[in-house]
Amino acid sequence: MFKLIVRKELRTAVRDVRLQVSAVLLIGLMCTAVLLGRQGQQQIQAQRAAAQTAMYDVWLDQGEKHPHSAAHYGHFAFKPKPVLSFLDVGLDNYTGVSVFLEAHQQNEVSFSAAQDGNGTTRFGELTAALILQVLFPLLIIFLTFNTLSREREEGTLRLAYAQGLSMRRLFAGKVAATYLTVLLIFLPTMVLAFVLLYQSGGGVAAGAVGKLLALTAGYAVYFFIFVLLCALVSAFTRRSEVALLTLLGLWIVCCIVVPKAATSLADSLYTTPSQFEFRRDIDEGVAGGIDGHNPADERLATLKQEVLDEYRVSTTEELPVNWSGIAMQAGEEYTDRVYDREFSKIEHVFRRQNRLSEWLGFLNPYLAIRHLSMALAGTDFDHHVAFARAAEAYRRNFVRVMNKDMELNHHPGIAFGDYTRGRDFWSTIEPFSYELPGTAALLAHQWRSLAALLVWLSALVGIAIVFTPKISPL
Amino acid sequence: MNSLLHILAFGGRNLWRSHTVKVLLLVVFGTGLYSIYFGKSVVDDQEGRIAQVRAYERTQFDTLLHWASLDTTSAENKAHYLQAVSPAGAGFGRHFTYYVAQETPPGAGLCLGQRDLYPVYYGIHVGDRARQMNVGELANPMKLLTGNFDLSYVFVFLFPLLVVALFYNLYAEEQEGGTLPLLRSQSTNLRLILLGKGLLQLLVVWGSATALLLLGFLLQGISLVEHGGLFLSLLTVVLGYGLLWTVLMAGVVWLRRSSALSAMLGLGIWLVFTLITPALLNLILLANEPPPNRAGVTHAVRTLNDRIWESPKSFVFDRFYAAHPELDRGDTTDFNRFYHASFTLLDAEADRLQSQLEERVRRRNGLLEPWFWLAPAALVHEQLSKLCGTDRQRHLDFIEQTHDYHQALKQLYYTRIFSGEQFSPEDLRRLESEL
Repeated sequence: MFKLIVRKELRTAVRDVRLQVSAVLLIGLMCTAVLLGRQGQQQIQAQRAAAQTAMYDVWLDQGEKHPHSAAHYGHFAFKPKPVLSFLDVGLDNYTGVSVFLEAHQQNEVSFSAAQDGNGTTRFGELTAALILQVLFPLLIIFLTFNTLSREREEGTLRLAYAQGLSMRRLFAGKVAATYLTVLLIFLPTMVLAFVLLYQSGGGVAAGAVGKLLALTAGYAVYFFIFVLLCALVSAFTRRSEVALLTLLGLWIVCCIVVPKAATSLADSLYTTPSQFEFRRDIDEGVAGGIDGHNPADERLATLKQEVLDEYRVSTTEELPVNWSGIAMQAGEEYTDRVYDREFSKIEHVFRRQNRLSEWLGFLNPYLAIRHLSMALAGTDFDHHVAFARAAEAYRRNFVRVMNKDMELNHHPGIAFGDYTRGRDFWSTIEPFSYELPGTAALLAHQWRSLAALLVWLSALVGIAIVFTPKISPL
Repeated sequence: MNSLLHILAFGGRNLWRSHTVKVLLLVVFGTGLYSIYFGKSVVDDQEGRIAQVRAYERTQFDTLLHWASLDTTSAENKAHYLQAVSPAGAGFGRHFTYYVAQETPPGAGLCLGQRDLYPVYYGIHVGDRARQMNVGELANPMKLLTGNFDLSYVFVFLFPLLVVALFYNLYAEEQEGGTLPLLRSQSTNLRLILLGKGLLQLLVVWGSATALLLLGFLLQGISLVEHGGLFLSLLTVVLGYGLLWTVLMAGVVWLRRSSALSAMLGLGIWLVFTLITPALLNLILLANEPPPNRAGVTHAVRTLNDRIWESPKSFVFDRFYAAHPELDRGDTTDFNRFYHASFTLLDAEADRLQSQLEERVRRRNGLLEPWFWLAPAALVHEQLSKLCGTDRQRHLDFIEQTHDYHQALKQLYYTRIFSGEQFSPEDLRRLESEL
């Protein structure tokens, strides 16, 4: 009987001209989004990779100079455009794309694409994520709002009931048929995404397939939640029109109003400090010590004495090593601690703001899939922070190497300009490379969103099991 | 005419009794009031930040004035005194950082536009400008992505939904409620009845928009007397947008489909014009013209800076004095003069590249302009941003002003740095009033 219901529903759906038109439009839109998105992603990635390589060549070709001058000359780190960002561009337009790495200070990742865009940029790009998260629920509403209410209105539900058909079975059949229809529209795009991944030269990026599979599974769950929700509303609403308006209202609240309201609320609850406060705290931290009782001059004097004691000499000129190299590296390490403290404060505020939206995923499945999708596509806040940290670790390493060389090889008595290093030494610094976090790590970060989807799924399945026998045939 | 008035009066009574309309208006006014509060809170926060840097600047300047009058017999006092009176500052430290703030336009709280993407102030000293301007305000990218829940959002996104909700069953309600044959049997033309009902719905939309805009002005403390022109301009855009949606929904009603299908069609049109078309235009732009690489400017400036430091001082002085012969005292060794002259070279290089880059950005953004009519929501939002002074162009104007300020600052400081003249306390006071 279950198969019969599914077959009948599928046949009805396939014959529905409105569904045919909607499906063709959605598939067309998704294919456009995926194809153009992939083209854009490849172009940007090629641009950034070329810039990264060019900047490394510039580093190697900077000529003969003092290692500290080279540390000032610095490096650039370009954020790779994640391979799956063509499916979900996430925060990519609002986080910077490159960072200048230099001695003494930690610069922010800057030059976001949004800053160069006009007002239209704020409307976002058409991505598969936008279609899957916002438009697919509408399609599901369209498919299910009258799935049971129409049968009731037309009296066929009463007939089916009179013939002994279990309401639960009927409900399950209709849900299964709708879900299959949704999957038939959804899966071709994901197959296209797989094909595009494999078509790209140089092999598939590590972990991309796993992430794409997880993304597909995540969306499949999200759609099932919507199918169940819509079918339940249809089952327990007397009139199709009321069911439709209820579902459209829910859609507007979940997909349009709540996401914006949630971030606005989070911003009011957890205030972001100003750039001025951030920079002032760093300057004060560097000048006065992290605890405010360790001024820079005293720190330097203490270090100097320690070094002199270690080498059993009374002046820096007598040292077998370069005092400036030691002092600079100590300064770097102290400054790093100040930067770490201040950046972690900001990160903490942003994370608290984002957490609110993640927790709201338990009330609104759209928020849950949105966070999960961005994470799997490599375009969420965690990925941005991971890149910023990788770039900073690279900066600290090359500055340390420069300072160490100065400490060990630039002997006292040699003028600053007379001690130089060249290409061979510059090439001891490896090119900057950054690997996206693995699937397991990012899913662990996204446990709230995963849990929210599972809670929604379990709750709706539970409600369906318990309440569907009570569906009124009248 | 009498028939139309009769229809309007009857329709008005029906609307007044309708629970659906009451709920819709409650939602619209609820979200509208929240958006007004939200916009005001963001603007207040930005003004708070501006006040913060101004207060800091005031305190620092007072300290400088105090230092300039210190008795210099102690070493500590002397160091402070030198910092205050030396235009080049002490060592690598600057003399003073001035804060240039962008005044909050009166309508900013109604439409925050692009203002949240850019800093509303810059800390400026005589050093190289590119480095000072290359800072952004701290903002959670998640919030930037989601956008602002301001009044423009309510007008651009939610008002069309109100129109859809009011119009979708204009005809279908009569058909499905069984009253259509009765209406057809009346002497009054059915079209006139529908026109009357439609006019009333439009008046509800326009009335709500006007009331919300008025509330926005009143609750955000924007004077209607001083900014009456802004009010009228915003109102014209919003009412025109409401009319556009009414016409679109009239097209849906004209199809005479069921209420369910009409609602879906209305929502479909809303999706196309507010979400899909702008997003599709952005995607096409991205695929055809990726954003330019701004790091190129930073790279060029650091390369020049490297050359400056790796070359003899004459590399800088020759170029600098050729452009500024009035500052040439024949000195080619002084570090402070060399250091400051180098900033001029760096600024010139950065300006050259920035203007090239800005031209590319302008050209790139211009590619979308002929297609804006396909995305009325984006077009209206851009218009509201322009009127409220929160669009990108306003930020570029602010950058231009900051450039001019930096230039004026350099002129004042460089005259003294290159002549070796120090600031007196009177000079500092004059400096304060001049800047």
